[in-house]
Amino acid sequence: MSLADLQPLMLGLILACAALLVLLVDLVIKPSGKPILGWLTAAILAGTLVASWLLPLEGEVQAGVWQGNLWSTFLARVMISAGLLAVLGGLDYVARVWPYRQGEFYTLLLFSLTGMVLLPGCRELAAFVVCFELMGIPIYVLAAYSKNDNGKKPPEAALKLLLIGAASTALTFFGAALLVGMAGSSRFAELVPYEPGPLHAVAALLLLAGMAFKIGVAPFHMWVPDTYEGSPTPVVAFLSVAPKVAGFAALSSIFLIAMPTLAHAWRPMLWLLVVVTMVVGNLVAIPQTNLKRLMAFSGVAQVGYILLGFLGGAEFGAAMMLFYLATYVFANIGMFLIVHAVAEAGEGEDIVSLNGLARRSPWLALALLMFLLSLAGIPFVAGFWAKFYVFTAAWRAGHGEMVLLGALFATVALFYYLGVARAAFVNKSAIEGPVPVKRPLALAIVVCLLGTVGLGAWPNPLVEAALAAVQGLY
Amino acid sequence: MDGTFTQAWLQTVSGGGFPTLTVLTLLPMLFAIFALFIPGELGFAHKAMSLVGSLITGLVGLVVLGQFDRGAVGLQMVDNFNWIPSLGVRWLVGVDGLSLPYVLLTVGLTPIVLIGAWSAIEKRWKEFGIAMLVLETGMLGSLVATDLMTFYVFWEIMLVPMFLIIGIWGGKQRIAATVKFFLYTMFGSLLMLVAILYLYQKGGGTFVLSQLATVQLSDKEQLWLFGAFALAFMIKVPVFPFHTWLPDAHTEAPTPGSVILAGVLLKLGTYGLLRFAIPLFPAAMGKASPLLAVLATIGIVFGALMAYVQTDVKRLVAYSSVSHLGFVMLGIAVFNEEALQGAILQGVNHGLSTGALFLLVGFLYERRHTRAISDFGGIAKTMPVYTAFFVFITMSSVALPLTNGFVGEFLIFAGSFKEGVQSSILPPDGGGVAWRTMVLTCAGVATLGIVLGAVYMLSMVRRVFFGPITNAANELLKDLTWRERFLVGTISAFVLWIGIAPGAMLRLSETTVHAMVQPIRPQIQQVRSKADFQREMRNAAMIRPQPTR
Repeated sequence: MSLADLQPLMLGLILACAALLVLLVDLVIKPSGKPILGWLTAAILAGTLVASWLLPLEGEVQAGVWQGNLWSTFLARVMISAGLLAVLGGLDYVARVWPYRQGEFYTLLLFSLTGMVLLPGCRELAAFVVCFELMGIPIYVLAAYSKNDNGKKPPEAALKLLLIGAASTALTFFGAALLVGMAGSSRFAELVPYEPGPLHAVAALLLLAGMAFKIGVAPFHMWVPDTYEGSPTPVVAFLSVAPKVAGFAALSSIFLIAMPTLAHAWRPMLWLLVVVTMVVGNLVAIPQTNLKRLMAFSGVAQVGYILLGFLGGAEFGAAMMLFYLATYVFANIGMFLIVHAVAEAGEGEDIVSLNGLARRSPWLALALLMFLLSLAGIPFVAGFWAKFYVFTAAWRAGHGEMVLLGALFATVALFYYLGVARAAFVNKSAIEGPVPVKRPLALAIVVCLLGTVGLGAWPNPLVEAALAAVQGLY
Repeated sequence: MDGTFTQAWLQTVSGGGFPTLTVLTLLPMLFAIFALFIPGELGFAHKAMSLVGSLITGLVGLVVLGQFDRGAVGLQMVDNFNWIPSLGVRWLVGVDGLSLPYVLLTVGLTPIVLIGAWSAIEKRWKEFGIAMLVLETGMLGSLVATDLMTFYVFWEIMLVPMFLIIGIWGGKQRIAATVKFFLYTMFGSLLMLVAILYLYQKGGGTFVLSQLATVQLSDKEQLWLFGAFALAFMIKVPVFPFHTWLPDAHTEAPTPGSVILAGVLLKLGTYGLLRFAIPLFPAAMGKASPLLAVLATIGIVFGALMAYVQTDVKRLVAYSSVSHLGFVMLGIAVFNEEALQGAILQGVNHGLSTGALFLLVGFLYERRHTRAISDFGGIAKTMPVYTAFFVFITMSSVALPLTNGFVGEFLIFAGSFKEGVQSSILPPDGGGVAWRTMVLTCAGVATLGIVLGAVYMLSMVRRVFFGPITNAANELLKDLTWRERFLVGTISAFVLWIGIAPGAMLRLSETTVHAMVQPIRPQIQQVRSKADFQREMRNAAMIRPQPTR
């Protein structure tokens, strides 16, 4: 095997090398110069993003163990963008709060991204599991970065994530082991026979449960609000989207590629989960007073919609899932970054902390409004088209009742999103003066805003790209 | 449904030139974007910016009026771009006699509202100016869009600025009012979105209205889809029993919000019924029209009675809106040419007179910071000019001859009674008698609404303006300033003009209404009154269709 054979894996390799590079630079650099690590990471991520258009990434590795195509590249771009935005948003915070642990922070983030970027292309269970864990384990550590550097005890949030993550991994492994044991091969294509037996169905459900933990589908979402609330916000910004994107990529490869013949087992289960997720996510979000908890439940609800696309059958549905994920990255990271900016100004992370934001920082408030509208699915911002597309997909798959349910719960969702907008625009605040926003954070928010509004006005290019990307899945 | 009823009025007749309508629609939004970059401290700059933006939009509106061909059947000045090809969404905008009156109302009312807001809105002009401009884009877009998705986008855009306008500048209970307003409207809209999606699938991947109007649907499908569309629009109008959000929203909204809400937004509900719900699902309309007529009539009487017992002037005007829009809905339910002409005109009339009433109430509120009827009395002595304007607009509101209200309501009643009586005595079959009796009853009861309208308006006028001054605070009231006189005077001029010479306004929509009724009415009549349908078809066959002008 020559090095040229690894060409399709290039994005993952760049990121892995970058992780090592950051670690090395961290060793030689003076403590006062460590903020450069964040910039270095951001520059590498931006470069990787650009490289994803320049490098030839198509092709098979190891006779089909890994497949590089538009599908894997599209997802890689989404994940790298999420990573870039989170790094930019957290740059100053990381440098201020953990001045001596910046190297580890960015290394972990890059390793996690490496796992994610490689995940969508896996066509073999062992590689899949390795990527899955490479993505997950650094995140456990990232979430455990305490909010201030003097904390000795690991926060409850990270522990909860770790335990539940480990449990879900165990379920995934058990399911995978069952399949490999029965098939005698770990290739996706050979995993499930044309006429699967009952044990295959059990394995499918185990895998499903494992993934459901990762993407935070109700009733497997218990860790989500606590982890979101307890972990540092820039980490949450990353955590709330990138692993979700990877989780959906994993869901697609496992269920659509490896188990199409088992659809009778996992499809009804997933439909049930969609209903539960929409109901739980939307209803529990309403009474929340902490912004990050609210966003956690909103995230749970959003997953319900993304699943609607996933279940919306065949290529169109999967493409709409991709589109939804891309718009979700901008709106959700943007939301968390604004929460972060306000919290950094010393206002806390409750909805009331946003009071009077429109007076204090009109641009920040405008961005907040756009993100909220996008999450709520109001026209002229990206989220509307995303919702609309997944509805279309579900409708085409003959699930009108789910569309109706989704539409009804979109009204419910408005209620709590508007509550946030109301705090920013209507309520008064005792504090005067603009919310200070550091340059890189502002840049990240502006990118999110442009993405949200731009995709709202002109969603077509991304939709076409998503449609093309899905060709690579099959 | 056989294919003989082609809806020529939904087809494009002219377009492809300079994209006037696209400019018209997006111009306010453009100014809103400019305004974003002006610092919020410069209140004056924002007042100027929003006014200039709306005035230039108004000029473009006049250009549209100038280029409009009254005699042509179909959509004019159409701009047709491929907006989202992967989904089949087209930027398809055009005007006809149905939308043009409301387009003009919108571009005319917005500057007036903005000037009126100079005193009504005291804080945060930046946000206000931007919200109003975005709202104008939303309204204009909803009026000119004939691609269902484009329409839906604009329809929803309107919600956000309205939410901010009521939420930021509203009264004490504004939060409850905004939430109610938003959730009510959104609930209806989302069901409509589901229906749009269904049609989209049925129609083979297009949202273009004229193409969707040819989709074959079973009766059951028609009924469900019509239900979803009509619910969204009926909530907006609002038709009894979906009106409960309106009094709260109006009472809590600041004056400019109320004027725009009453002036244009409510009419978008009736417009949506005429433009989308009925042409798409005529058979379902045939089934639903008796119900619509009854609801409209209940709304007329109920709104009037509720208005009569209000103690707050603004709430009274709000309930009067429920009553007035009942007339418009009655005209739509009847669906013959006279009634529709009346309904369209009455929509404009209501926008003018109720808009003016809200402005006037706002002027009074700015002076006294109360709207309770009992706080006033005898203010005709201190505010003669104000009183004159108020009484004049009241006359328009109660539909006195020589005012616009009279023409509109007269046409609606003429159409309704014509529908009920018909020209000849016919064998009582096919539901014809039931339908006619129902229309006659409704129209009869609705006449009562006119009387009630006079009762509640005039009794309010008497209590507020005439008699001795009982409250010392009213003795020092200042009369209208020149700015205020200009605003109400402009509206009054239009009120009078439409009242004396309604021809110009009516001719604007005449051709379109004729072309709309021709294909749709038979399909409605077929369902609700078979005997009349057959007679009308015979008559139509005897009179050979005239070549169009």
